[in-house]
Amino acid sequence: MSVQLRGTDAGISIRWIPKYTTLERVLHWVHTAAFIPLSVTGFIIYASWLMPLAQGSAGESLRLIHRISAVFFGGVPIVYALLAPRRMVMNMKEFLTFSRYDTLWLKGAFPYYVLGKHEDMPPQPRFNTGERLTAVVMVVGTIVFGITGLSMWFLRGMMPDWLYQAMVIVHDLMFIVTFAMFIVHFYLAVVHPMMWQSLVSMRYGVVSESYAREHHTMWYYGEQRATELWEAHQKQANKKAGAS
Amino acid sequence: MMDRRKFLKMSAAGLGALTLDGAAVLPAFAQESRLAMFYDNAKCIGCKACQMACKQWNKLGPVSTDPQGVYESPEGLAPDAWTLIKLANYPLNDNRDYLFIKVGCMHCGDPACAAVCPTDALLKLPNGVVRVDQNLCNGCGYCSKVCPFHIPQMRVASELSGEAKTSKCTFCQDRVVQGLRPYCVQSCPADALDWGDREAMLTKAKGRLEALKPDYPQANLYGENVLGGLGRLYLLLAPPEAYGLPQDPAFPFGATLWQKVVKPVGQVAFGATALGILAAFFIVRGKVHMEEVE
Repeated sequence: MSVQLRGTDAGISIRWIPKYTTLERVLHWVHTAAFIPLSVTGFIIYASWLMPLAQGSAGESLRLIHRISAVFFGGVPIVYALLAPRRMVMNMKEFLTFSRYDTLWLKGAFPYYVLGKHEDMPPQPRFNTGERLTAVVMVVGTIVFGITGLSMWFLRGMMPDWLYQAMVIVHDLMFIVTFAMFIVHFYLAVVHPMMWQSLVSMRYGVVSESYAREHHTMWYYGEQRATELWEAHQKQANKKAGAS
Repeated sequence: MMDRRKFLKMSAAGLGALTLDGAAVLPAFAQESRLAMFYDNAKCIGCKACQMACKQWNKLGPVSTDPQGVYESPEGLAPDAWTLIKLANYPLNDNRDYLFIKVGCMHCGDPACAAVCPTDALLKLPNGVVRVDQNLCNGCGYCSKVCPFHIPQMRVASELSGEAKTSKCTFCQDRVVQGLRPYCVQSCPADALDWGDREAMLTKAKGRLEALKPDYPQANLYGENVLGGLGRLYLLLAPPEAYGLPQDPAFPFGATLWQKVVKPVGQVAFGATALGILAAFFIVRGKVHMEEVE
């Protein structure tokens, strides 16, 4: 895509690389639209100052919203599996592929995301370490929420008390993990100044060539070339450190 | 200067004294000492007057039962059956081989139901009553799954939508607040039930225990100390298990873990994450030059 800058002869050209399919983007937003009301209605029992919202008919309505949202939340992976099973398997494999670069990424994440230092970020595939961890937690969360939520919903009368209490605790622990993770995910995807293309990619399905090269080197160049570049970068950095 | 609360209390007391039998009005209502019900197993004749009185005062509907040829009806507590006379087969040394017991909410000193209630619909009042406010209940049903005695009963309107209300004995909270005795106590023709200051009830129970011990060596007092001390004190002629009561009821571990560990951990985690993110945003905003961002 090229854009003519108004009033000048100059233009910029951006090459866009597809990252998400239309189905993935639609399902991502349905998932988001389900997760937010689920979290908010669940969060209320964690904040005593919000207790009036849990009481009486307001509370009944919120419990109903929680259940309706849960149906959509659980429906997303089912629809994805039915409509794009190969793509789902491909993504799952990518989510579960970790390498030596992931420990380096975790080391470099704080200086990178908080201090803006990107020199030490190792090459990453289509999903970086953080994205893959988020995805794995969300997949595990969906399974755990599904089992515990449906049990509490439909099997309450049949379950022994200890099992029901265990379900509540596991459901809540999963909520703590996923909701805290969601806050970070929202920040990085929507608010963080360096990640402005995440939102673009989840809206239009594409990222710019320069963004892919910077943030997902292994995806852009392939594993071999990315490794070569990383090793060359490391050598140079070591030289500099030696010289100083 | 009289505050509003005191004024309301006095008004309620005055109204009660004017409109009701004076002997039924207890002095204990004026103070906020803990009240309790005393059930004397040796005196209970199993007439079920208490059951009927409960239904009458609390306007509870009928409960359909499947007659099984047993004395109990209905078979267990229900949203419309807050108290029940149960029959237990047990050989006693007085030619009886059965026991009666009146079951219902124990109004624990440390009630698990109120601890997990997210709406304060179930709340322990200073007078010891674990009250139920139907208007506050949202039907979550946590109370019914943590009670060591399986007391709260859910009146479920729809399993699918989750519309429900909890129900249990309230010690006739609307009567007690006016200084009256619970209606079951008032209705008992055998003097098996009594109501009043918990200390006084304990003294009475211990006195009765002393008197009964020679003839009933297994007699025991149930509820003095367990779960913060029960609001329903039982003088039993046989061991608690004979009546289906847990020997050593405990606050459920799951409820403790949920309320004392998981919830605080969640609150800290959410707060720390939000604050951390906010701080990170302000730091990175000053460090990043947008013209260099790819």
